[in-house]
Amino acid sequence: MSRIEIRNLVKMYGAHKALHGIDISIQPGEFCVLVGPSGCGKSTTLRMVAGLETISGGEIAIGERVVNGLRPKERGIAMVFQNYALYPSKTVYNNMAFSLQLSRMPRDEIDRRVREVAEILELTPLLDRKPGALSGGQRQRVAMGRAIVRDPEVFLFDEPLSNLDAKLRGQMRAEIKRLHQRLENTIIYVTHDQVEAMTLADRIVIMRDGRIEQQGTPDQIFHDPDTVFVAGFMGSPPMNLVECMVTPTGLKLGQNDIACATPSSLRAGDSVICGIRPDDIRPSADLPAGASITLPVNLIEQLGTEKLVHFMVGEHALIGKTGGRTSLTEGAAHPLSFDMAHAYFFDPKTEKRIR
Amino acid sequence: MTSMFRHMTTRGTPYLFLLPGLVILGALLSVPLYKVVEYSLYDNVIVEREPTFVGLDNYANLLSDSGFWSAGLNTIVFTVGSVLGHMVVGIGLALLVNADIAPRARTFFRSMLILPWIFTAVVVALNWQLLLNPFGLVNYVLQWLGLVSEPLDWLGNPDLAMWSLLLISTWRGYPFIMVSFLSGLQTVPKELYEAAEIDGAGFWHKFWHVTLPQLKPVIFGVALLDLIWTFQLFPLVWLSTGGGPGRATEVLSTLTFRLGFVDFQFAQAATVAVSILIISAAFTLLYLRNEARRL
Ligand SMILES: Nc1ncnc2c1ncn2[C@@H]1O[C@H](COP(=O)(O)OP(=O)(O)OP(=O)(O)O)[C@@H](O)[C@H]1O
Ligand SMILES: [Mg+2]
Repeated sequence: MSRIEIRNLVKMYGAHKALHGIDISIQPGEFCVLVGPSGCGKSTTLRMVAGLETISGGEIAIGERVVNGLRPKERGIAMVFQNYALYPSKTVYNNMAFSLQLSRMPRDEIDRRVREVAEILELTPLLDRKPGALSGGQRQRVAMGRAIVRDPEVFLFDEPLSNLDAKLRGQMRAEIKRLHQRLENTIIYVTHDQVEAMTLADRIVIMRDGRIEQQGTPDQIFHDPDTVFVAGFMGSPPMNLVECMVTPTGLKLGQNDIACATPSSLRAGDSVICGIRPDDIRPSADLPAGASITLPVNLIEQLGTEKLVHFMVGEHALIGKTGGRTSLTEGAAHPLSFDMAHAYFFDPKTEKRIR
Repeated sequence: MTSMFRHMTTRGTPYLFLLPGLVILGALLSVPLYKVVEYSLYDNVIVEREPTFVGLDNYANLLSDSGFWSAGLNTIVFTVGSVLGHMVVGIGLALLVNADIAPRARTFFRSMLILPWIFTAVVVALNWQLLLNPFGLVNYVLQWLGLVSEPLDWLGNPDLAMWSLLLISTWRGYPFIMVSFLSGLQTVPKELYEAAEIDGAGFWHKFWHVTLPQLKPVIFGVALLDLIWTFQLFPLVWLSTGGGPGRATEVLSTLTFRLGFVDFQFAQAATVAVSILIISAAFTLLYLRNEARRL
């Protein structure tokens, strides 16, 4: 268990600036997830912590040590790669034992550790196989085993589950969570998948174009987004974000007036981006307390326990939700109720939250 | 009826196109092959109009000839030494030019290092004769460095000639190995090296545990191919040392040539040639089997 301090981290690829000064402070034992769209610099950040990329500016400290100049093996980290990067010519046993063999640990101690970890990950029957003879999920577990046997201060994961199918991904996600509870190591975990981010993280760091957009607990990220980007990034289906006009009594959404409280800094006539999650737009019968408007519903998606209700307000396409048993007809107008107590307001120019 | 005919012609057409090639190849390959084997069963072939059939006598004589055995031994030394030299130098240089340096420098070094391969054997042999001459550059440099007190006759001294020949052959032959390995190296996933680095592997560990296992199929195939080529290599040896001094660098291929075109004992030459053929064929079969297994 060690803390990780990333201070003003900069990465240049030639003249291209991939990271513009990243600051992250990770507590000992914390599970930190980096998310963001493709190319935002998640992997770059992780690989700089690992020592696989040079540091163009700023500082990384693991524990109390600044590790900028240290080689990967001196940093006390272990990494799980997206494509697992198992040694194809070595057996599962030797894949896991390799780092210990290199550190000249006594043979019986290596054996004890490898077998113990193999037991935890249910790899014992596979120890003599080569990676080529394993399924994707099994390879993934070997890759994790290889990291765990070293008992590192910090685990680094770069999209470890992205090559698995949906069901296996769910299982492995739970397994990683359990391992973290058991081992209590500090973890930095890169993913595209917001479900992984929400379920695994103690702290989520949302990145965009080499900058940090917001960081905080999953609750804060989901329920208290700082920017339009974060609001739209987390949640599936995403938050509805529409530009509307502030009126003395609330908002004007297309042709419709919605009565609601607006932040005190807004004046009537200002334009504002209003964000409201699909969960907070329901048929009026479900949500009598909200602001009700009758609007044409043009598409209903049945997901089983719930239905997604697609409808138009002016030229904006919005999504609401209802229970799986509620019957609504496509193409007809229905009274829909907006729970404006859970609406968010953003400045259209800076895209920052107005509280 | 017509449809059947058409069917046959469409299926036969590709073979029709192949026919001229096959005929020429067959004639060029099988006739000489047959002739060589035939010659080896007669005495006084070519020089006399009516050669005498001697059966396997030529082979029996060859097996009791110390010249043949010493040439055979030299061939083994030359072949094994050359292949080892090619391998070590080829792999080493492949690793070097695969290193993460400026792309321009890399391209420059890669092209420079392939040069030995594009010269013909004559040029290579003459160049090295000049370099290794008692008054040549090599001796000059060695003397200047104080490594030798007087010039050495690298190609003329029976104790040194084979070593010099191996040097020349290594210089000449490493580029093929280097190029093969270079392409092999580029298929090794970068992530494997990164994983090894995190596991604490240094340069040699990475080479031993990641690079070599990945290259193993390439190494085996290329080494066998090189073995087949070098085993019957003639021009470079003949032009560099002529098999001399004395018989110090006489290999089976130069022995064949000497028997045939210096001593005019064509039957004996054919006999040696057939022995080369048999051994090469054995290696070739091994190579083909290895390739088949890889597919
Ligand atoms: N070796 C490199 N040379 C030049 N630019 C690079 C290199 N590696 C990454 N980049 C650039 O740096 C930026 C960040 O890349 P990075 O791999 O960190 O993205 P990412 O967030 O991991 O994306 P993804 O989710 O697709 O994996 C990208 O714009 C990418 O093009
Ligand atoms: Mg990435």
